[in-house]
Amino acid sequence: MPGCEMLERVADGEYKMKMKLTLASVCGLFDGKVRVAEPQPPDKFRLVVEGAGKIGFMKGDGLLSLSPDGAGVNVLYDGEVQVGGTIAAVGQRLIDATARMLIKRFFEKLTKHASTSTVAAP
Amino acid sequence: MIPQPFDYSAPQTLAEALELLESGERKILAGGMSLIPLMKLRLATPEQVVDLGRLKDLNYIAENDGAVRIGAMATHHDIEMSPVVRGRCPLLADVASRIGDAQVRNRGTLGGSIAHADPAADYPAALVALEAKVRLVSARSDRTVEASAFFLDAFTTAIEPGEIVLELQVPIEDTSEGYAYEKFPHPASGFAVVGVAVRVRKDAGRISMARIGVTGMGPRAFRDRAAEKLVEEGVDPFHATLGIGEGEPVNSDIYASGDYRRHLARIHAARALKTALSRAL
Repeated sequence: MPGCEMLERVADGEYKMKMKLTLASVCGLFDGKVRVAEPQPPDKFRLVVEGAGKIGFMKGDGLLSLSPDGAGVNVLYDGEVQVGGTIAAVGQRLIDATARMLIKRFFEKLTKHASTSTVAAP
Repeated sequence: MIPQPFDYSAPQTLAEALELLESGERKILAGGMSLIPLMKLRLATPEQVVDLGRLKDLNYIAENDGAVRIGAMATHHDIEMSPVVRGRCPLLADVASRIGDAQVRNRGTLGGSIAHADPAADYPAALVALEAKVRLVSARSDRTVEASAFFLDAFTTAIEPGEIVLELQVPIEDTSEGYAYEKFPHPASGFAVVGVAVRVRKDAGRISMARIGVTGMGPRAFRDRAAEKLVEEGVDPFHATLGIGEGEPVNSDIYASGDYRRHLARIHAARALKTALSRAL
């Protein structure tokens, strides 16, 4: 996750997290949790990320669908990010661009991680 | 709200400023028209701020070697009123005159604005259409980046840690060139919901060169090379701009959806083209 500074498992599929998001001069520290919901391995699962900080709060909810694609995996993402608080009040016009950028960063990191680490097949 | 407490330095020379930027995370303050409001809202909480306001010799507008060179600390007002800019690259003066309001233009700087790289800023459309270059310096480096390679993403530029924008280099336009900037301003902020900067040159009745820079539409300003080619092939403004921004990501917010922005971009691009063509000799 972009800017993730701490991720601690608290229960099955549930993690406590601290995230630091930076965009230009704006830097926000978010405390919250990440939840893996409705898991249907190996096809799909929902990822719910919630965080609150001084500059506002946010909630991201996405359905990730995985399908084999040759030697790799095709990941289809469908979701939305909701933002509230100061950052939403004054930065409304940037929320969409910011959300897309964060999602892009997340998938870039995921791709890098997936292609460099190897996991034994179950 | 008032800003969170921070350390403030105001270097007296460029060398001093660059030395300061070598260490730690320092936020640069130029005109303050973007940074100060963010700090007051506490959306930005830099611990160290370096004010470039004492660097008077970063505010210049000169012409040499076939280019207009504008120092990073030149204000939008300076650029708007400069006889050199108006004579040599009038598109830039036109765009500068449409930024924000008079107060913002009196304090806001070229360097600060382009370094901030707001997706809805006006300059980027002109800079890519003018094929301008940005000179970046640090204590260890001195390099020049093409405008199209400078604006990377929303609020993201090619500036590396320790670097500041030193000057903008604009190739001198041919006096026969026609130019125009059409913008749909947000009614409250004046930011470009969509802004299109156009340059054209005619040669014996046909259009020998067209440059179309679009801002506000996506996360960063871009040149619509497909539309430019259509114009150079003789397609009329309306048809040449029907596909403007195709293939580029489009912003959408409460004020304007992606579709509405596409629609606005088409209209303003066609208008800018028509005006530029009528001005071209």
